[in-house]
Amino acid sequence: MDGKVIVITSGKGGVGKTTATACIGAALALENRQVAVVDMDIGLRNLDGGMGLENRIVFNVVDAAKGKCKIKQAAIKDRRIENLYLIPASQSDNKDALTPDIMVRLCKELRKEFDYVLLDCPAGIERGFENSVAPADEAVVVCTPEVSSVRDADRVIALLYARSITPRLIVNRIVPEMVENGDMLSHEDVVDVLSVELLGLVPLDNQVVISTNTGAPLVLQKDSEAGQSFRRIALRMEGQDIPIEIPQAQKSFWKKLGIIIGIGK
Amino acid sequence: MDVQLSDKSQVRLKGVRDGFWVTLDPSLPADYIQEELTRVFNQLQHLAFNSHVTLDMGGPEGRESIVEMLRAFLKSKFNVASVAVAPASPPPKEVPVNGEHGGDKSHKPDMSSVWMEHHSDALVIAGRVRSGQKITAQKHLVILGDVNPGSELIAGGDILIMGTLGGIALAGQPDNEAAIILAIGFKPIQIQIGGIIATEVPVSQRHTLEFARVDHGDIVVEDYIKTNPFGRLTWPEVR
Repeated sequence: MDGKVIVITSGKGGVGKTTATACIGAALALENRQVAVVDMDIGLRNLDGGMGLENRIVFNVVDAAKGKCKIKQAAIKDRRIENLYLIPASQSDNKDALTPDIMVRLCKELRKEFDYVLLDCPAGIERGFENSVAPADEAVVVCTPEVSSVRDADRVIALLYARSITPRLIVNRIVPEMVENGDMLSHEDVVDVLSVELLGLVPLDNQVVISTNTGAPLVLQKDSEAGQSFRRIALRMEGQDIPIEIPQAQKSFWKKLGIIIGIGK
Repeated sequence: MDVQLSDKSQVRLKGVRDGFWVTLDPSLPADYIQEELTRVFNQLQHLAFNSHVTLDMGGPEGRESIVEMLRAFLKSKFNVASVAVAPASPPPKEVPVNGEHGGDKSHKPDMSSVWMEHHSDALVIAGRVRSGQKITAQKHLVILGDVNPGSELIAGGDILIMGTLGGIALAGQPDNEAAIILAIGFKPIQIQIGGIIATEVPVSQRHTLEFARVDHGDIVVEDYIKTNPFGRLTWPEVR
């Protein structure tokens, strides 16, 4: 097996990298792929909590990278989804515990055992970013429709191109009503500035908060719009030609009625 | 290069084709010469970097020690590429200073010969300039693509953008206020022409060709097609 190493990054913090990693990892595993999600945020681990696996951590990515344990010992099998494994971050070390070379060596081993290795990159463009990008074959940049997030994503895209990695984009937390009212950047505005291939659009979804707190996989919830968006993103990453679905505003009963009788828009 | 910093001091600097020609009186105290060189080179800013400097002291004879001292001084302080000494002959002919400072333009004998002599001093870049990227040009800068917010363009001359300008653009650095900044979609965070800075530039919602220039000490942004700023020039000029 010679799997792909994909870094999920953004530059700015709090845009949904960890959620995206957990969801895409779960969605790819549901497609019968062997998937490892690796928390690269050394010192501030939180991917384990989002997947509901925090009480099963014995070894972590630093231990695996430094040869203190085998990869199989550090990889925690997900309770609900077959083929999905988490390699958690160390909470007690800092980003300097790893180096790009060590990560390249670790990912070389991970490739042999998994179809996909998803690296959840920490915010920023310093050591944690370098460690996550060095072994990556592909990159997914997550950004929200906010000026600051787009600016940071742009910076990261330039850094990825400089390393000969062509990134793809996920625009997260779209609020269609705000876009319609002109209070939020549209996905076209974001793509216009960033000028990279769009992998998917994810609407703002309250289910994400519930899922992150409870550890229940979002992609298994049929009524979660975000979860379903991530499933479609995973299929696109698998090479399937699925059209991009643009999040639409939910029309209220009175608005729908207005449209029917021809007084609303 | 077309930099000319005329001053009445005893250390004078002229821009010549491949660098700078510095005229100075070697009988002056070394401290004074260094002080004056610092002053004029400070005005050049990044243009001094890697430039070739020729010292004109009325001939090289008997000046070895002061030349050596000034060479070390200019290389260490301003990162010039080389410091040579001029022979005891008149300085080379200056490259014609162009733009609005070109003097009487209506009686130029043969413009085609001027173009033939003139090297193209434009740095042409194709592609999107992204946040965090900084492009510096000694003279003019042409960008065939968009310039995203968070990026920075610095040019000794004009900045021409065949796309949207969303970042910071500094034209005419350090002191050429005849420079312009032109873009299709003028939405800069900040612009600077020569020493004049304009912050909070009103964002243009139109996708038309607009340009910024200096007018009576202020930066103004105008529609390029309507204004046609160079349409009134009687002769095509080298900028």
